[in-house]
Amino acid sequence: MSDLRDNVQQEFLAEAQELVEALSRDLLLLDEAHQRAERPDASLINEIFRSVHTLKGIAGMFGYKHVGAIAHALEDLLDDLRLGRLDIGDPLLDVLFDSVERFQRLLSLEDPQSPEETPEVDAYVAIVRSIGNQPASDDGDPLHRYAIGSAVLSVLTEYEEHRLRACIREGMQLYRLRATFDLTAIDDSIEALRDVIRDDAEIITYLPSLEGGNDESIELVVLLASRVPESELKAHFEGQYGAVEAIEEQTHLPTIPPQLTSIPPGTQSLLPQPEEESGQASLRSVANSVRVDIRKLDDLMNVVGELALVRTAVGRAISGLDGDPKYKHSLRELDRLGRGFERQLAELRTRILDVRMVPLGQVFSKFARIVRQAAREHDKQVRLVVTGANTEVDKLIVEELADPLMHLVRNAIDHGIESVETRMRLAKPSEGTLALNAYHKGRNVVIEVEDDGGGMHAQKLRETAVSRGLLTAEASHDLTRQEMLNLVFLPGFSTNESVTDLSGRGVGMDVVKTNILRMGGVVSIASEQGIGTKITVTLPITLAIIRALIVKVGGRLFALPISAIREAVPFSQQDVRTIQGRKVITMRGETLPICDLTPWFGLREVEHQASRFVIVCEMGNRELGFVVDDLVGQEDVITKSLGQTLSSVRGFAGATDLGNQRLALVLDTPALFSEYFSSSEVQPSMEARA
Amino acid sequence: MTAGAQRATLVPDPGSQDATIPVLAVAAGTELYGFPLSAVREILMPPPLTEVPRAANHFLGVIAVRGEIVTVVDLSELLRLEDRDRQPLGRVILVDVAEELIGVAVDRVVQVAQLQSDQIEYASAMSADLSEYVVGVARIPSESVATSEEMVILIDPRALLGGLT
Repeated sequence: MSDLRDNVQQEFLAEAQELVEALSRDLLLLDEAHQRAERPDASLINEIFRSVHTLKGIAGMFGYKHVGAIAHALEDLLDDLRLGRLDIGDPLLDVLFDSVERFQRLLSLEDPQSPEETPEVDAYVAIVRSIGNQPASDDGDPLHRYAIGSAVLSVLTEYEEHRLRACIREGMQLYRLRATFDLTAIDDSIEALRDVIRDDAEIITYLPSLEGGNDESIELVVLLASRVPESELKAHFEGQYGAVEAIEEQTHLPTIPPQLTSIPPGTQSLLPQPEEESGQASLRSVANSVRVDIRKLDDLMNVVGELALVRTAVGRAISGLDGDPKYKHSLRELDRLGRGFERQLAELRTRILDVRMVPLGQVFSKFARIVRQAAREHDKQVRLVVTGANTEVDKLIVEELADPLMHLVRNAIDHGIESVETRMRLAKPSEGTLALNAYHKGRNVVIEVEDDGGGMHAQKLRETAVSRGLLTAEASHDLTRQEMLNLVFLPGFSTNESVTDLSGRGVGMDVVKTNILRMGGVVSIASEQGIGTKITVTLPITLAIIRALIVKVGGRLFALPISAIREAVPFSQQDVRTIQGRKVITMRGETLPICDLTPWFGLREVEHQASRFVIVCEMGNRELGFVVDDLVGQEDVITKSLGQTLSSVRGFAGATDLGNQRLALVLDTPALFSEYFSSSEVQPSMEARA
Repeated sequence: MTAGAQRATLVPDPGSQDATIPVLAVAAGTELYGFPLSAVREILMPPPLTEVPRAANHFLGVIAVRGEIVTVVDLSELLRLEDRDRQPLGRVILVDVAEELIGVAVDRVVQVAQLQSDQIEYASAMSADLSEYVVGVARIPSESVATSEEMVILIDPRALLGGLT
């Protein structure tokens, strides 16, 4: 019973979250349009209205009364906005943006009814209402200057009337299109017309004409507003639909009183109202998608894994029959079937993985608001440019990515992009640019957070690191510029109170790095003083399946994620030299630190190792060679967690089933790297140089 | 394979009259230990173990059970039983512990005993200084001919295995 309630609650929260995200996204578009001094797209305001309206509805159902109260107030405000009773402006936008934060906070509360929130919510609602009471400027009603006909005017909804006014005000020409529709397919036909017209004109309304039509068909009069010249519009529609005529502006006012009876009652129901119709469209799109708990997909993936094991077992059983001439024919058949089965299995796996994929735009859309806010806080001008929002990654990664990326975005604005005055003085455009780029690169997805701000001052970073005791002054002299930049990733490099006197950035960069590493990714910095900074995050596309190299260490099997491997080369003990207690080999003239996994893991050496191998791995701009006993082969593996109990054991990301009940531990390359490089004997100057 | 909603317990419901508690008795070294049967999911023939380097001694490794990775602990090692060489694995019992299923390696599974609550001598009533995972002791009919009764030490699996590192 409580489980059921939890489920329902979860579903509500998920849906509410999506609505708030959509709201946030749309508000940004609205803001953009406003900043460019454009009139906002009517459909956008409708979209916002609908999100808030739906949120109000479901919040009511689930007892989120504060969310409901805010949504209700906003709904009224937005209704005024879309009916043109209100003008869009900064105070209005601020209130709207504010709501996103409030919704998110209220949705995260334990007690959705919490009385503590009431004063705050009431105050906000009062602000919303006060804004709603500042009516729009009225420049006289232009409607009556057109020969639209009072019969038509009288049946327009308030919204349609507003759109009509707005279109006239924007200097659009009004047209009347007469088109005949088959009664049985009227909905589809109107939808089709809508699609055709969308680019050229806005449909204000359609009404049945009183003249045309018969038992099977009906003639509609479609009222259009368009900027396209009459001749062009005629060329587009006349042949296909019917006559287009312009509605001229008149100098005298029509005096005919409205005649409500001129439209036969009941006819109206034939016509989908624009409002309801778009409502239906969204309902339909909801019905076509299902919200699925990601764990269910994990379960499915497990079943696929099991199936693969069964397939291997069947293969073994079959090969037991091999050589018996009696089965020769059947064996060939079984072999063929087996291959078919494998193909289908691979397909199934791909499809399941595909379901887990979501566009990165889901995260990026959150940043749009943050950028706007942070820029305001610091009185800076920041333009956000997003590319590759459609790049898809595993849902789990998207979730995990939100926080680290948020840090990077905030840092770029707080510490990267300069104030307007500084930029002017430096002859930079007053508006700073923050770019979020995402793209696929092989089996990885790359996300760049790039700003054209002041860049990082490498020497200052070095001084800060020394002053915080993170490295000695002597050691710091040997650092390359890149190594100095990388100092920001050191734990304890920066604290909040020191941020302002830093030319660089660094709030929680170590946390960012840890989070990215945990996902199997890497993060790197490029920065030029005065030009800008680019932080690049490279992540695997999915966490569910990775390609791994299976290796033998101390007689046991381990899987090494291939994403981190640069190459594998034969190892010979003679090549090993020691520098300050560290084993290194020379490869192509470069010194490569190596780490023999057998003693590192506390395993016993297997004797008579004829040919061992060094697997050269790369993480960020460091390299490390792992010495292993043997290479077994490459495999796609599903990494499964070792569970809570073994989570404190370092160096393993999980285990994977290689079939036949054999498990291999999956090495956690980032963890091994940081363990190796942070162990006490090593100074930063000793680290591998890129 | 998540933990059941109700906590496996050896303490009978005070409301119920004829509370018998089924207990799985297992042998580790020379002693018998009892796990509440309600916490035991499965008894496995030992599958191939995969050692986890760097894990504490009482972790034997991990095994695959229907697609899940299960950690296996050595009961003797965990209880620091001495006078014992590492023997070939006897049985692995899968025990539900809070968030996780944990495999407990034992030498032998002895029997399922139906204990009446008055057969149990609770640790709280004993003066001896016992580990917090010992709920109490009970006597069960012996399998061997030498004695008629054997002592079984009743274990609270959560206290023993929960939060193990």
